Amino acid sequence: MRSEGVASEAGSPRDVEPADPVGAITKRVTAAIPSFIVAVIVIGGWEAAARAELVNRLIVPAPTKIFSAFVELFSSGLVWEHLRATVFATTAGFALGSGAAFIIGVLCSFWRPFRKVVEPYMITLQVTPRVALAPLFVTWLGFGLSPKIVMAATICFFPVFVNTLTGLLTTDEEALEMLRSMGATKRQTFTQFTLPSALPIIFAGLKTAMTLALIGALVAEFVGTSQGLGLLIDRFTFRLAMEESFAVLLTLALLGLFLYGLMEWLDRRVVYWTHEERLSRREMRSRLRSGRERR
Amino acid sequence: MKVFPRGGVVAVEDISFDVRQGEFISLVGPSGCGKSTILRLVAGLIGKSSGSLHVHGSEVLGPRQDLAMMFQRPILLPWKTAIENVTLPVRIKGRVDEVTLKEARGLLGFLGLEQFHHAYPQHLSGGMQQRVALARLLITGNELLLMDEPFAALDEFTRERLTLELLRIQSRINATVMFVTHSIIEAVFLADRVLVMTPLPGRLAGIVEVPLERPRTIDLMRTPEFNDLVFKVRGMLGEHA
Repeated sequence: MRSEGVASEAGSPRDVEPADPVGAITKRVTAAIPSFIVAVIVIGGWEAAARAELVNRLIVPAPTKIFSAFVELFSSGLVWEHLRATVFATTAGFALGSGAAFIIGVLCSFWRPFRKVVEPYMITLQVTPRVALAPLFVTWLGFGLSPKIVMAATICFFPVFVNTLTGLLTTDEEALEMLRSMGATKRQTFTQFTLPSALPIIFAGLKTAMTLALIGALVAEFVGTSQGLGLLIDRFTFRLAMEESFAVLLTLALLGLFLYGLMEWLDRRVVYWTHEERLSRREMRSRLRSGRERR
Repeated sequence: MKVFPRGGVVAVEDISFDVRQGEFISLVGPSGCGKSTILRLVAGLIGKSSGSLHVHGSEVLGPRQDLAMMFQRPILLPWKTAIENVTLPVRIKGRVDEVTLKEARGLLGFLGLEQFHHAYPQHLSGGMQQRVALARLLITGNELLLMDEPFAALDEFTRERLTLELLRIQSRINATVMFVTHSIIEAVFLADRVLVMTPLPGRLAGIVEVPLERPRTIDLMRTPEFNDLVFKVRGMLGEHA
């Protein structure tokens, strides 16, 4: 019985061990080639059109001009205080908004009457374009950081709330029954099962929330602030300094990519079981560890 | 152990039987006959509207710790390795120490999974996942095992292999097993007694003694005695079979 071809059953861990790292990198580079070619064509065409003055320089400046304005923006040091202000408002707003959303989501999942009371308000808040609240926040809280943080928090609240609640309420009933039969307490059921099961969908909400938080911070900056990339872009366009405006836009795009990448990175580490390559790596590591221990 | 559940109108009614220590009981019947309901009643997962039900001499009032239950799906936690899944019941009761880990390794080895301690469920086949679930059932050390169609979702070959392994384990630890199935052949092959149930509402149609000797092998299925018992069960199911 022991030797019955277990190895022949599907899914041997050996199949899922990652390939050699060099091969993996080559594969990723090859996969990126088409989008790189597209970028070269688009930017090259744009540059050519700008140089031939097919488009008004005041409307769309040449990529090379934008790039030098971008370099200038950073080397002159002008951008730093604004970048810092926007990053701080975005991350603080994200932490506040998604933190509150998570806690309220958990409470709603535990306590049905609370959910019944809270849900209509959440939906009303969601269907109201919260961007319209920005002037109010600035009026109430001034030109400093706080209206931006509040705006970012408000706008990123909903996806985290909905995903937390959905994740916690759509758990496997049979698994809950199994845990009950094992004598698990409510707290154990939550920490050992319900919360981890909900984590993948909660993280999907957090990823959306991060990009929304940046939007929220910028909107508040457009309405009125003393610092921030939103203010900078507003100021440059007002002066028709389009190259600088586009340089700030580029900064914002890179910031957005960075923040999203950060969330992806976190997602792969926290919710490792939905990412095949993380799972295989952990599997290999724990096998090595136990091998050492037993020796 | 005595079990006398008398359910309400909905699920099961007029059912009365007892199970001896070390006995293997099969509950067989078509869907809706309440065989799973009976397991859940015994486990204390659902309440009864009337009647009395005792396990190990005490009345069943809620989820019990002196028995262990296994389901049709393995229900493994995808964020835990095989060995972490096996030790879950122990962790819920307290701490997982070296003794538990050793026991878990032993059980996984016994079930042919010695290479797969650190594999995550996603990397295991259906049959291997159900073996992990079986190890998780056995690590509780309980001698009353409730199994709700544990092999129904597996392919024929894996199912046969696990059925034989279950018999081997049961005789080794002298476990009392209540095994729900919708396969008459499986029911007869495994059991000392088969409880035959009919639906709407769930009732006990009768109990068939299986006096076939143990250890049982696949060849047993070819014997006329075995087939007589299968047809006897089938006959009791009447038009429900």
